[in-house]
Order: sequence, then structure tokens, then C-alpha cells
Amino acid sequence: MPWPQQRRLLGTKVQRLDGADKSTGRAKYSYDINRPRQCHARILRCPHAHARIKSIDTTVAERTPGFKSIHMVAKPGDELYFAGAELLGIAADTEEHAEDALRAIRVEYEPLPHHVKEAEALRSKGSTVGGGAEAANVTPAGDYSTDNFEQNAYRDAAAVHEAEYGVAIISHQCLETHGLVAQWDEKQENLTVWASTQAVPNTAQQLAQYFKIPATRVKCITHYMGGGFGSKFGPDIQGQIAAELAKKAAQPVKLMLDRAEEVTVGGMRPSAYGKVKIAANKEGLIQAFEVDCYGSPGVGRGATVNFNLLPYVYVNVPHIKRKHQAVRLNLQTARAMRAPGHPQNCLLTEQAIDDLAAKLNVNPIQMRLRNLPPNDQDAIKNAPTTYLALRHTIYTQQIDLVRKMSDWDRKWHPPGQGNGPIKTGLGIALHTWGGSGRGPNPTKITIGADGSVLCQSSTQDLGTAQRTVAAIIVAEILGLDPKDIMVEVGESQHGPSTPSGGSTTCPGTSPAILKAAENARDAFFAAIAPRMNVEVADLEIAPGHVVNKKANQRIPWRQACARLGMNPVQATGDWPTNAQLQQNKELRDLWTTRLSNQGVGGVQIAEVRVDTETGVVRCTNVWAVQDVGLVVNKLGCESQAAGGVVMGVNYALYEECIYDKNSGRLVNPDMEFYKLAGIRDMPQIHVHMMDMPERGVIGIGEPPTISTAAAVGNAIFNAIGVRVPFAPFTPERVLAALARPQGGAR
Amino acid sequence: MKNFSYYRPATVEQAVSLLENRFGNTELLGGGTDLHDLQKEYVSQPARVVSLGGIAQLQTVQVAEKSVTIGAGRTLASISEHPQLRQLFPALATAAGEIAGPQLRNMATLGGNLCQRNRCWYFRDEHSNCLLKSGSTCFALDGENKYHSVFTQGSRCVAVTPSTIGPVLIALGASVEVQNAAGKRLVEIGRFFKAPNANGEREHALASNDVVVAVQIPVQGLTNAHYEVRQKLSSDWPIVQAAVSFQGGRNGEKATDVKIVLGQVAPVPHVAQAAMRAIENQSITEQTAAAAGQAATQGAKPLSQNAYKLKLIEVAVKRALLLASGARPYWLA
Repeated sequence: MPWPQQRRLLGTKVQRLDGADKSTGRAKYSYDINRPRQCHARILRCPHAHARIKSIDTTVAERTPGFKSIHMVAKPGDELYFAGAELLGIAADTEEHAEDALRAIRVEYEPLPHHVKEAEALRSKGSTVGGGAEAANVTPAGDYSTDNFEQNAYRDAAAVHEAEYGVAIISHQCLETHGLVAQWDEKQENLTVWASTQAVPNTAQQLAQYFKIPATRVKCITHYMGGGFGSKFGPDIQGQIAAELAKKAAQPVKLMLDRAEEVTVGGMRPSAYGKVKIAANKEGLIQAFEVDCYGSPGVGRGATVNFNLLPYVYVNVPHIKRKHQAVRLNLQTARAMRAPGHPQNCLLTEQAIDDLAAKLNVNPIQMRLRNLPPNDQDAIKNAPTTYLALRHTIYTQQIDLVRKMSDWDRKWHPPGQGNGPIKTGLGIALHTWGGSGRGPNPTKITIGADGSVLCQSSTQDLGTAQRTVAAIIVAEILGLDPKDIMVEVGESQHGPSTPSGGSTTCPGTSPAILKAAENARDAFFAAIAPRMNVEVADLEIAPGHVVNKKANQRIPWRQACARLGMNPVQATGDWPTNAQLQQNKELRDLWTTRLSNQGVGGVQIAEVRVDTETGVVRCTNVWAVQDVGLVVNKLGCESQAAGGVVMGVNYALYEECIYDKNSGRLVNPDMEFYKLAGIRDMPQIHVHMMDMPERGVIGIGEPPTISTAAAVGNAIFNAIGVRVPFAPFTPERVLAALARPQGGAR
Repeated sequence: MKNFSYYRPATVEQAVSLLENRFGNTELLGGGTDLHDLQKEYVSQPARVVSLGGIAQLQTVQVAEKSVTIGAGRTLASISEHPQLRQLFPALATAAGEIAGPQLRNMATLGGNLCQRNRCWYFRDEHSNCLLKSGSTCFALDGENKYHSVFTQGSRCVAVTPSTIGPVLIALGASVEVQNAAGKRLVEIGRFFKAPNANGEREHALASNDVVVAVQIPVQGLTNAHYEVRQKLSSDWPIVQAAVSFQGGRNGEKATDVKIVLGQVAPVPHVAQAAMRAIENQSITEQTAAAAGQAATQGAKPLSQNAYKLKLIEVAVKRALLLASGARPYWLA
């Protein structure tokens, strides 16, 4: 069952099948769900960045108008570690009554010392942030060096560059906030939730575990979801609270976070700041890369960069030294966000490379071509369709393409050149990502006697246009139009599926859908062949038809289906089990290197216009070339890439969670001073997808957002000739960089 | 959110009769783009809300020979699109047309723009008991203040005036028609704004039982322009704004009666006297405009994070003057 050699639909541009539903509001998101007798819940949150609860008095709140139920999360004596930490939830007949009831609760706190600024926490000793025995503010998160680094690293250096780079904490800012609607049945035994989640069966499962009830008793529905980016893998505490309140109230409960909560507790991408020292020999080959960096995962733990991928992409640098520290702060714990660690890695690496290229007087494109990692010799032999085997080839082609698309050779100028106060510049950056898929993703296909085709699975549409992906594959195999296929997703009752994390949805589901479609076709042929007095082998699919090769007869699809009579045909398809994949190399090669694959490369060039009098940066164009293996839906892929660029431009220019050092509170939990680009702030985005069908399907939800910010940073450097070290590249930071005495040298 | 009684009077007199002699319990509602936010955020919890949306008189625009009168209920969108206003007062039309985004401009009113509360993120935080509530501290002073005042003018609250229409109207010499139970009066726009420093105080000098009825702008053939430095083009606040007006000043002619008013730099619109003196009786060139821009920062005392605004003041004043003079906007090249 390889992918069809002749592709009629795969790789073409197919509009989203649910596009009209989404744009007209017919598509119902969790936020749109309203159940009969539903009440509304709100959460009481700690206003302090670090405090111990002395007392909680809920008596007045429980007598407020419309009060339905209350669920306690924290109790007196508990220590809370960030502003926004949950104390309790309250359900009431209206959202307003729930809000009022919260404000009738009296809580006494003993405020404790806190840190919300990386630099301060880094300097402070002791364990101010709090949180039990391992409460140190700063924890080592990686320390590595190639052998004899000190002796060898800078020996052949023709140029050495040393500077600081960094990027602030940002929020996921999901347009649809986190939350769900929870409803128990009359016996209070079976729970249904309409959740905004990127892991439908997992959300049901986690709730079943939480309530200690059989998994079969919880159903999760997510027909449409409005953004997750890595922050929505389960019910979260607000989902548990909603289900608890629904149970206590014996009424459905809706609990969706408001915007301020979404920004405060709905997930964040951790910061990363680092000193980078980079050196190249006179041929422009990077000899040494040294980075000493830190970042904050919030009150949680863990690295904020992808430690092993520093330097990023250019992994063949001979002398590497890296150190990373996690700086804990009294704010929400970091969550995975669209390529965790990679955008930070890319900023720390790609900007340093451009600064070094400038010292060497080398064009940034030449600098990259010289330092691309080679195709891996082992991989060429053993896994010829993988990123390792192809990376040099892929990046070389991509750089060539994006260079032409952007007219780089004509437009590029040495850093800082250009007359007048308005400067333009071009910057380039590269990225990589895994994007492999796995099962289980069982997919069921039903072919009816009326010619209708239904494709069902529990997977979710986080942004892959999943209904359209499924319809294209099924239609390709059955000779139909994607519009002919009815696709149902987002219901846990349809069986297991893998969470949409790590760009795994398309590669995880597509081979299973292909398998299901082929099984359905075969079962269909098996059912109708006897009734047509032919062998199964005599039948084949042609567009809109079933062909009886024996009689040289073309039967329209619906007529052929009519032969099914009373019984529709059903078939499922899924991945082999992990054990089967491990044991059987042929099977493994088919599913993981031909039907799907992992490892992509991408290159982006950004163009900016910098007003050197005001420091305001506009990103005017972004050219993105992305490898995705086999393209299922070209339009969907291009949209994914464009969406990635949109987020990347925001990361570069606008987004930042700003915390007040005194109160420890986020001062911009909104879309007003938490700045997000509007349509007039968007560059023209030019996407080119590389189609490499021999590699199979690879996920690209994450990669196209990785390199945008670094490309924008490099474009600013190219425009004004000085480096703005820390993103977001706001007017005050650009002006400060321009005012620095020695220009770019720091 | 506290339940409130909603009133929708048909006349200004009726509206006035519904008001009280202190702020807080009864609030006036224009387009709702500010008050409803404050209510939902538990910063303002009025028991009574008096909508001005049903008063036809507030919707009129009268263009007479000597002056133009714009009803306080006119939306910012309708002001920005009004052909005569665009011709006479480009500063006003562009300022109105650049505020926030189309959704807000279609709701927000002229009167609401003048009377809106400030956007300080400490004031807007329910949990932050700043001195405009019942507290005694301005948290911005030792906090996050990159968008706050650089001319604090002795005010304890360092939030900036949020109105971008205010500075323009000052530059144009406008007056505000105000009505209360005693009748109508004209308030010179220069005396309209006032820095709030305590609970119960507002960003304007009116009493709680005053209603802004209209704005009168004299037609004096003033050359005028508005320029704002903003980070985003879509839905953003200016970081610094400059409104300018003068007689003459085009085609190398000297500019006289110059007014230069800054927004987003002080608790009230800041009249840049030194800048006005610097350019008075000069022809407007890049050099003279830049000199005026530099003079505009005189007396500024930036806070810990907003010294960059001084540079932006220089640029905004220079560009507003050049725009008004008819020079080609070099920054759009």
C-alpha cells in the first residue's frame, strides 16, 4: 500500500471542506456550545505572585443570587506560586452571577517573596520562588562541551563574534480560550465534555482517571477548535473544576477562561537569553559555537531551549560548548508551544551567524551554504528518504529557491547601507523539525448503497484542515471528489487517536486513512464482485466509476454502490502496532519512511522597513520554502506555513508578557498591550512547498513558525547595521540599539 | 458584574436629570467601548447607566461660516469620513480615523473619546488598588511605565491622557458645549482636561452631572495636521502623538499663531510652548521642524522606562509640522 504513483488529488490545492461552516459560524466550537439548563462557572485565582492562604470564607458567596455549586482546589495553609493560581470554582446560573459570587469570597493571604524577572531571580540566592525541597530559583539544565574546547575552539579563527541575544516570555493567546462544557447524565455516571483540546481521547481519559470511573463513561467532543499551539493536551484544572461543579450542581456547566485568564494561565513559551561566542576560519567555516544561556519555564522546571540542538541546524560545527540554566519565576509553568525550544535556538544561532558573517564580510546566504550540515553517509545507506540523508540537498535547493523568490541578489546590501532615515533590509534563517506520525489512529470508512462515503476517527483539527486531508485521501483511492466524502472527527467515541502535538497529526492519520480507504475499496469490491459475476481482480477504480475490466465496462460510482443492496460496507485502517513495527523491518520501512517520514528543513527570508527615527519596524515580505515530504493538500500546507509566519512575525516584533516586579502580576493580560499584529501589520507572505512524495507524509504544523523571528531579526540588522539583541524588536529597543556608541559591537 | 438600571433618554435634559452629584453610581454611556470594559473588569460598577445613544441632537454636524459644531454622539468613523471635516480639519479626521480599529471607531463617540478613562494597566487591573481607586500609590512609578508620562506636570498619577482627539481640538482652538441642570455653557478645550489624582476624580474637569453635548471648532483657515508614532498600524494606541495648527506656513510662507499639542506623553494633553515659540514666524523646513521637535521635549522628566519617548516627541512634532506644511512625507518613501 504505498501512496499512489499517479496522484489525481494528492498534492493539489483543495479548499477546506468546512471553510464555509467556519466563516459563517455554522461550525460550533466548544465556546459556542450551550446545553439546556447549563450554568456558568468562574475560577477564583490568587492575586499574589507567591502567597500562603491563611483563610477562605465562602459563606457569603454561597448565598449570592444564582449560586449553584462550589468546588475547592486549595485550602488554608497551602502555598500558591503565581498570580492566577486556582483556589476554587463557582457555578451560578449566569456568568455574571458567578463573577459576583467569586467576589463575595473572603480570602486572607500571607504574601511571600517572589520573582517575576529572569535577571533578578538569576542574581538572587536561596529559594524565593518556592515549591518544596527542590525550590532553588536557578537550576542547571545542561552543560556540554566537545573535547578540549578551550585549546582548539578559537585556534584557526579569522573572526570571532561575541554578543547577547534573547527573547521574552510570550503567551499562546489561543483565540478560543481554554475550557469546556461538562454534562453528566441523569444518573451522574456518564460524563460528556465539549472541550477545546488538541487531544480528544486523552482529554476523556484524563477525566475518567480524575473521577476514577471507567474510560468508557467519559466522552469528549471537539468538532472544531480555535487554537492550541501545544497548550491544550487535556482538560486541565479548569476542566476538572467544570466537571466537578456540574456534578455537584447536577446541571451542565460551561467554563471557558476569559482573555485575562487565557494570557495569565493558558500557557506560555519560555524565554531564552544567552551570551553567544562564535568563530569562523578564513574560509568562513564556523569553527566554534559557545553559548551560555538561561530562560524561565515559569514556576515549573525544565530547559527553555532545545539544548542538544545548539547550534541550531548547523550541527557540524567542530567545537561546541553550551550551558543552560532554568530560571524559575513566580508565574505559570511553560507549556509546549509550536516547536518547543526551536524558535529560541534559531534566534540564538542564526542571529549570531549573521553578525559573524558581517565581520567576515560574507553574504549571509554564502555563509549558510558554506556551513550547511552534510548529508549523513550512514543515513544515505540505511534510510535514504530521511532528513539526515537529505538535509544538505534539501537546504541547498531551498536556499536557491527562496533566494530567487525574494530577489535576494538584487536587493541585499551590506548591513546598514542605504540613505535616509527609512532603511530596508533582508534577513535569512533556517529551521528543522521532526514531524513524524504514529498510531493508533484507527479510521473507519463506510460505503453506502446510495454511494455515500463516511470517514470517521477521533482525531482533531488543530490546524491541518483535517476533514479535508481525510477527504482527499479517501477520494483519491475511491475515485471520488473530496466533497463526496463526509468526514467526522473530534469524538472520543470513535476510538483512540494520537494527540496533535509535535506536528504529528497529518503523518499519523494519513497512512491510517489510506489503509482504511484501501480496505474499504477492497471490501466494496468483494461485496459487489459476486453480484456482478466477476472476480475482485477484475474490478478497479477510475474517477467517478468502477471499471469492470473483464467486460470493459465503466459503471458510475452510485450504480456500482447500488449493488451493495441492504448492507453498507465498513472497513477500518490503522497503523501496525509498535511491536509489529519494531519486529518487521519491511513494515517499519513502509510505514515510517515511505508512507510517512520525519525530519524537515525550511528556509525563510524576511524583508523589513525600519524607521530609524522612531524605531518602528514593519515586516513587509516573508518568503518561506518548506519541505513537507508528500504534500496531501497543497492549499492546507501553504496555509499552515502562512499561519506559522504570522506567529513568527508577532514573536519577532510584538509579543511579550510583561510582569510587574512589585506585584508579580502580568500587566498586559489582554490583546491591547499584549500586542498582536493586525492585518495592516502583516507582511506579504509567499510560501513555496517542496513536494517530495517519495518521502511520505511529514507534519509541518510547527516548522514554518520557527525561523521567522530570526529572519526578521537578521533583516533588521541588515537594514540598520546594528543588532537589536532582544526580541520583541520594539521601537524602544531599536532606538536603544541605534543609540549604542559602537554600533553593533557589544 | 453588578446589575445596573439602564436608561435611554431622548433628550439631553432628560439625561441631565438622571445624573448624580458624584461619579461612580451613575455613569454616562456613549459607544460603550470604555465603560462596558470597565464594568466587566470590575473597575467601575455603576448602579445606573444612562445611554446617550437615543438623543438625536447629539448626532448632528453643523458646518457654519465661522464654526463647525459636531454632536458628541457622532462616531469616530463618521467624523473621519465626513467630507467637510476632512477638508477643514485634516488633523481631526486623521486622528479619528486612526483610533483603534474599524469595529471600535464604528461604536466609539466623540464625547466618549474626550471623557474616557485612562489606559494605565495598573488602573485597569481590578487587583491593583492604585491612587485613582482607594489606594495611595501610583504603581507605575516604580513599575512598568514604558507607556506612561514623560511630563508628569506634578501629577501623582502618571497615566497618559488616552484621548487622541483632545490634543487635536486644543490645537484647533475648540470649545466643548456642556449642559447641566443650570443650562448650557462653553468650556474652552484647553481647560477641559484635568489630571486625576484620587478616587472619584476623572480625566476631565467636568462635574458628574454635566453632559458633553457637542464640540465647536472655529473656522479660521488654520493649517493643521496630526501625526502619531505607533508600533502597529492595526488597532494600537499611539506611543506619542503631535497635533499642530498655524496660519500660513505652506509653500515656504512663515507660520504664525502656531500651536503644538502632544498626546500620550502627560496626564493631560501637553501644550509644547517651547516648540511653539521655536517655530513661530518661521517657514517650515526639515531644519526648523526638527528644531521645534527638540524644543518640544523641554521640561520632560522621563520615568525609568520611557526616556525613548523623548526621541519620539521630536519626531512626531517634526513630522506633524512637515505634514501640515504640505511637504512630502519623507518617512513614507
